[in-house]
Amino acid sequence: MGSQQGRRLGWKKLGLGLSGFLLFVLALGLMKEGAGGLAPLLRGRLEITNAADSMGFGWLMAYLVLSGSPVAAAAVALLSADALSSLQAFTMVAGSRLGASLIVLLVGLIYILRGHEQWTALTAGVLSLLLTGSVQLVALPMGLLILGRGWLNGLFVPALEKLAAGVNRGLEPLTGPLAAFLPDWALFVAGVGLVTLSFRLFDRALPQMRLERTDFGQIPRLVYRPEVMFLMGLAITLLTMSVSISVGILVPLSARGYMRRENIIPYILGANVSTLADTLVAAALLGDPRAVTVVVTHMVCAAIVSLLLILLAYRSYERAVSDALVWIIRRHRNFALFLGVIFVIPVVFILL
Amino acid sequence: MKVLLCTDGSSHTVRALKMGMCIARAAASSVDILVVVERDREEEVRRLAEAAAADLGEAGVPVAVHRRAGRLAEEVVRQAQAIPYDLVIIGSRGRRGVVRLLLGSVALHVTEHAPASVLVVKGRARDLRRFLVCSSAGPASEYTVRFAGRLARALGASVTLLHVMSQLPLAEDALPDDLGASAEELIQRGSREGVHLRRMLDLLAAEGQAGRAVIRHGLVRDEIIAEAREGRYDLLVTGAHVTPGLNARLVDDLSMDILLDANHPVLVVR
Repeated sequence: MGSQQGRRLGWKKLGLGLSGFLLFVLALGLMKEGAGGLAPLLRGRLEITNAADSMGFGWLMAYLVLSGSPVAAAAVALLSADALSSLQAFTMVAGSRLGASLIVLLVGLIYILRGHEQWTALTAGVLSLLLTGSVQLVALPMGLLILGRGWLNGLFVPALEKLAAGVNRGLEPLTGPLAAFLPDWALFVAGVGLVTLSFRLFDRALPQMRLERTDFGQIPRLVYRPEVMFLMGLAITLLTMSVSISVGILVPLSARGYMRRENIIPYILGANVSTLADTLVAAALLGDPRAVTVVVTHMVCAAIVSLLLILLAYRSYERAVSDALVWIIRRHRNFALFLGVIFVIPVVFILL
Repeated sequence: MKVLLCTDGSSHTVRALKMGMCIARAAASSVDILVVVERDREEEVRRLAEAAAADLGEAGVPVAVHRRAGRLAEEVVRQAQAIPYDLVIIGSRGRRGVVRLLLGSVALHVTEHAPASVLVVKGRARDLRRFLVCSSAGPASEYTVRFAGRLARALGASVTLLHVMSQLPLAEDALPDDLGASAEELIQRGSREGVHLRRMLDLLAAEGQAGRAVIRHGLVRDEIIAEAREGRYDLLVTGAHVTPGLNARLVDDLSMDILLDANHPVLVVR
């Protein structure tokens, strides 16, 4: 009886995963179709003309859709349709990562607004933003330099181009009539909506991982080497394709929802590198070598900066992040200031 | 308690020898003095060891002196592997940064490889009157606390148990009340840390030693060093929890970090 139920659940999850993937491919096709016509809107009305603009745009878009992945996928679709340059797509992807943490903050805020006086519910969101922000501070100029010099060009595997052409041919019966019927902007918005939905389906299709039944159950008690936690964060996020899910997997390890800060900081640093795996798949499916280069550059820069921090300056970095976190959640005024700053910065980028 | 004292005649090992003699007079059932020397200093160090042996002999402690040629770190480990000591006492020059990286550290090598508890004498000369015992939540701490309790009772020292909570609440429904609480509050509430501290205090009491518990919140390494500095303790006690093998490659060895960062004598209990 139990195994029958388990089999049924397995088929359901497989179905959800497959539907999610097909929806993801369709969404990319729609975004690509619609993105071409968006160039005048982006460069004209929205004045997204330079790398700073697109960074702020990606950041605010991620706030709006409460997720980073759909925005990153939109960035590579816009690049593929020449609505953005490589540098702009790169900064938009970086902005999407920074904006992605808002959902975790919002969940904490809603919890507080529902009458719970636990300001520490904001910890995960604030920590995630601090870590992503501090890594991007160095990874961003590094990535712009690498892209500017073309050091990572030519990473694209030609076979992917054939795959992308095949996917486009397969999508033609669906996207063709829609493209004839809907304006470009509507196609793009529909694509963003579908890609967001596809990520939800992926999340539901993932198996419930229960690490507490394995040796990983020791994580809340022991302080693991930062390199080990970094690799663990990277690997688990690669499997789950979401930072919030991979952090969520760790939470049940501790019955009370606690995790040692020595462990969680390098774990999130690792998760931030591989969280773009889905965007890399999107870039490959779009069949655009420039999109692949942009995503790989982002992942390489985040990995280099994180590893340098872990290997050379980890104790000071860990202390600085921990102190900043404690300061932000200590008083309501500090948190309000932090919230103000993370909304003002992307707006300033757009106004630059 | 069978104790090994080690010296090569250098000022920091002589300081360790003197502190070791104070401990041995109060707590040792027998003492071995290991002298590792180069030829040109042989006579001077031999006299030093014989004076120490005579002093301990007068106090009624059985003493044997062993002489070796070679590197201090390796000879101490070899001696500790040959005879089952309860405590090895060694001095630390206190090398830091690049110098330590280039020249290595005798104290680190001995602490890592000797199959016994190791007391590393660092900083200025002092009487051991105030012990700070670092206690992690788990059964591994029990032996550390009992060992520290026995030593403290013999020396007439006070004991403070320190537990650092570095946890962050990651789930929104986590109950973070414990994350700002004092040791007394945690013990009263019967939280996991409170139960652990209560048990450690009971273990101390069973050794005939009173103690008090302190909780700090923050990064473990930083908070231990901060408490040691602010509380003006004379000895920092920690357990060697990392077992050799794969575990040693995965888990951060906090006792080694504390040994490197502290300006106090450090006892690593094994």
